Amino acid sequence: MANTQLNNIENTRIQAVLARYLELRSSGQDRADLNGHLDEDTINAFTESRLDERQSAPVVNHLVDCSFCRHRTVELVRLTMFFDAQDEPVAARETASEPVSVSSVLSGILSRIFGSGDAAVFAHEERPDDEEKSDPEADEEEPRS
Amino acid sequence: MSSNGSQLDELFAAADTEITAVYDRCCENAPNFGVRKECFIESVRRTVEKYVLPASELPLTSQQVVDFVSQLQSDDLFMAIGCARGSERAWWEFDQQHRAYMERVARHLAKTDVDAQEVIDQVYVELYGTKVVDGERQSKFATYSGRGSLRGWLRTVIWHSIVDLHRAGHDEVSLDELTENVGEGAAQAGFAESPVGGEDAMIDHLTRERYRKATLTAIGNAFSSLEPHEKLLLLYYHAHGMKLREIAALVQDESSPLRGWFQRKSAAREKDPSTRIHESTVMRWLEKSYARVLELFRQELVSVHGLKPEEVEICMDLALQDLAGGSIYQNLSAT
Repeated sequence: MANTQLNNIENTRIQAVLARYLELRSSGQDRADLNGHLDEDTINAFTESRLDERQSAPVVNHLVDCSFCRHRTVELVRLTMFFDAQDEPVAARETASEPVSVSSVLSGILSRIFGSGDAAVFAHEERPDDEEKSDPEADEEEPRS
Repeated sequence: MSSNGSQLDELFAAADTEITAVYDRCCENAPNFGVRKECFIESVRRTVEKYVLPASELPLTSQQVVDFVSQLQSDDLFMAIGCARGSERAWWEFDQQHRAYMERVARHLAKTDVDAQEVIDQVYVELYGTKVVDGERQSKFATYSGRGSLRGWLRTVIWHSIVDLHRAGHDEVSLDELTENVGEGAAQAGFAESPVGGEDAMIDHLTRERYRKATLTAIGNAFSSLEPHEKLLLLYYHAHGMKLREIAALVQDESSPLRGWFQRKSAAREKDPSTRIHESTVMRWLEKSYARVLELFRQELVSVHGLKPEEVEICMDLALQDLAGGSIYQNLSAT
């Protein structure tokens, strides 16, 4: 029992010393410029545990040295847990009989941002090769072979 | 052609059956997105070239490429490619599936509903892409690789947009400080100097300085000797105040490499690799790291600094005393 208590005391002491060291190490870390940080895709994949060992190793090495990216992962984990806990099924929007075109969705957004002048009218461009293929397939029920 | 290029050609040729199967499945689920197989392969190849190939010096095998492709969030990636290429159907589906969720995230993070709406609008504009380079519209969807979920990626994008919105309203504030105002943040550390005065006090001060330097070096080296995943766990817990349940959530997925590294030597894992990670599991991982740090700390003080066991205890006591004053950690630099 005495040994266990001694080990617990040692454990507590080293925890306290280490905690302080790590707090100050983090606050003293140089911030790399933004180009040196993990991109959004990688940060997301990491927090979702979607990276394999090969991809994770350099990410973990970066996180050990980068307080900013660590902070990002912490916030994203918390955000994910918050929304998972809510567990609300996202209500499906009422569907119109015809799909709303993306051009009208984006036109609305762009006119709110840039104003409603003619210059802000959004023209959605389909690539010519997409257009050729999309028209015949628009009403297809069967999957492509 | 570079050696990487020809290597990738071979690997993708070998993985063609798997890639085709994944592509066909995506087409079956979303036949009207207008995504051609070449575009799908190009996207996957770009991801392998950018993230997978350079991640290790070990050569990439065709099995690894096959495994990588099979683990992609392929339906999400298919939608993202469709949107990036301007498919109206893909955009409609995207809007239907994700807009409400994006709005919830933005409202949760932003200070006001107006800010939330501004962020959503901005994100949509970036996703569509208003910049054209060499005739190609630069859609933010092109930066989504399919490794993580599209919804998770959108969450990340919105979080960053909120940070940018806050930055726009603050001058001369560091990004670190700003991000700490978004959600929960870690407290800032303070420093204090020990007062020095009189001859006896000077000698005492010099002795204490010797112990302090030894302690700081030893704790720094002990930490540096840990494996990267152990360091990261300790940093998350102590430097960022992450709770045990939050860390458990991060490593809950069976495929998490962090979990795998910690469980590598665990008998429990051999018995049942899919066992749930509890807070107590994370605490055990932390305790193993503490024990390792303590062992390395003591070893260095004795073998490198030549201290006696009672002096090692003095170093520990000094370090604990200085937690209030902080002088032992003065001039600490990142390692």
